[in-house]
Amino acid sequence: MPVPRAVVSGLGFVTSIGNDRASVTASLRELRSGIERYEFLPGVDLPVKVVGTIKGFDTSALQWAGWRWPEGYSFKREALRGMAPHGLYALCAVEQAIADARLTTAEVTAEETGLFCASAGSPRLTRHYLNQLHDSRGERVAPMGIVSTIAGTLNFNLAAHLGIRGAVAGFVSACASTTQALGYAFDEIKLARLRRVLIVGGEDLNVDSIFPFHGMRALSRNPDPARASRPFDRDRDGFVGTGGGVALLLEEAEAARARGAPIYAEVLGWGQSADGYNIANSDPDGRGLAAAMRRALAASGVAPAEIDYVNAHATSTPTGDASEARALHSVFTKAGARPFISSTKALTGHGLSLSGVMETGFCVVSIAEGFIPGAANLENPDPVCAGLNLPRTTLSSAPRTVLKNSSGFGGSNVCLVLRRWEN
Amino acid sequence: MISSTEAKKRAQETLTGFPPHIKVAYLAFAESGEPACLDVVVLGVLQFYLARKPKESLDALPGSTRLIEDLGCDSLTMMDTVFMVESLFEIKINDSELPLIVTLDDLRDHLRRLVKEKANAKPAA
Repeated sequence: MPVPRAVVSGLGFVTSIGNDRASVTASLRELRSGIERYEFLPGVDLPVKVVGTIKGFDTSALQWAGWRWPEGYSFKREALRGMAPHGLYALCAVEQAIADARLTTAEVTAEETGLFCASAGSPRLTRHYLNQLHDSRGERVAPMGIVSTIAGTLNFNLAAHLGIRGAVAGFVSACASTTQALGYAFDEIKLARLRRVLIVGGEDLNVDSIFPFHGMRALSRNPDPARASRPFDRDRDGFVGTGGGVALLLEEAEAARARGAPIYAEVLGWGQSADGYNIANSDPDGRGLAAAMRRALAASGVAPAEIDYVNAHATSTPTGDASEARALHSVFTKAGARPFISSTKALTGHGLSLSGVMETGFCVVSIAEGFIPGAANLENPDPVCAGLNLPRTTLSSAPRTVLKNSSGFGGSNVCLVLRRWEN
Repeated sequence: MISSTEAKKRAQETLTGFPPHIKVAYLAFAESGEPACLDVVVLGVLQFYLARKPKESLDALPGSTRLIEDLGCDSLTMMDTVFMVESLFEIKINDSELPLIVTLDDLRDHLRRLVKEKANAKPAA
């Protein structure tokens, strides 16, 4: 029996640059930013002033019943009763992906369908429910307090809502989480344990989920939405936070083809590594990320020179971007390869656990639509990037093979190789 | 009884997004103390939380309708309902009382009694 091929056959987006595939595609192509001025605490002049906002949603109410979302979704309000705000974003993205992939309810609930998710949980609801508990001296304990707040809230809620029976798992390797989820989903399909896996990432967007990163001075203090997130730029000063929800269906190619689903791209392989260096900072030499890239390329049977585009992890932090630049030199420059490189976080901000699946979705869009998003906001490349191919504008050339990089706290590095579907 | 001003604040905080008739009944109860309004709130909240909605609204079903067997009310749905009703009416339903609430009539009667006891309780000195 031939080894199954794993393809992307469904996408759903709720992001700062668009709430569906068409608007995300347009934003990527035109380098349209989703970053805006944002007041973390009303009336307080905090040093961090911008985020990648989610438009068309209102999750400001502490009660889920008070949230609002764009028209056109079919779920009932009560589906949200165990969810955090990012559960709403993710649910909308999942509905899009299921419709995009033309999956029936029977296929979603089949034993061959799995669900892998990641989010950081909901610090905001945690704060609310724990304040309620303490203020009432233990009298007021919200029944849904646990399942709506802890890391895993996405898998708990979506698995129950969708009736998933194949496998359900959550990933907690911070900003590498959903790329890792994609990697393990790929393995499940290759091993023929599952025929398809929905990979879903989500993050809240509020003071509780984003501003604590200021404690380690990881956030940009640049007040200009058009220039705050500037990966690989000499003057970058930190990342810009964002939230949202993205769903991607990874599926065994024959199953997708039999159903007449769109096949946007194939995942060829993945690799991961660990820095063994620091709780938050990347190894300055980028050794861990370079190892993950090499493993992903080797697992995919792809040479560095075959990579047309790298969607970098680069979050716009001084140390992280420099580390990734060195890793890219180590893998590509040393091999005489010069793929185009950009970080789409310049447009979206950094989606934390969400970022891996969101940016893999962007890679899929760029492969399917035939363009390479440029390195937005890049004015003066950091000298460490000399020799890296960072296009300032979007290129109309269609990438055949793409590498997606992700790194997370604790030194997790995960890389995926995707290719245009060639039957 | 909760004052009308407090009721409006609490309705805004906790009932936004719920079917509007629940908020109307809650505010009416705060004004009048009419037990029928309390029933509308309690059954409305339960109906909103039920995973499988009955074909008719709960107040149109016989009082003997059983919460678990007939309506599929699971323990989380029950706790969500209890939590909401406690928040709205400043009452406390003890865990030991929950097994006694088997039917819609039990639910209505129990909450009417608790709310009445709360209203009759002497204010703290």
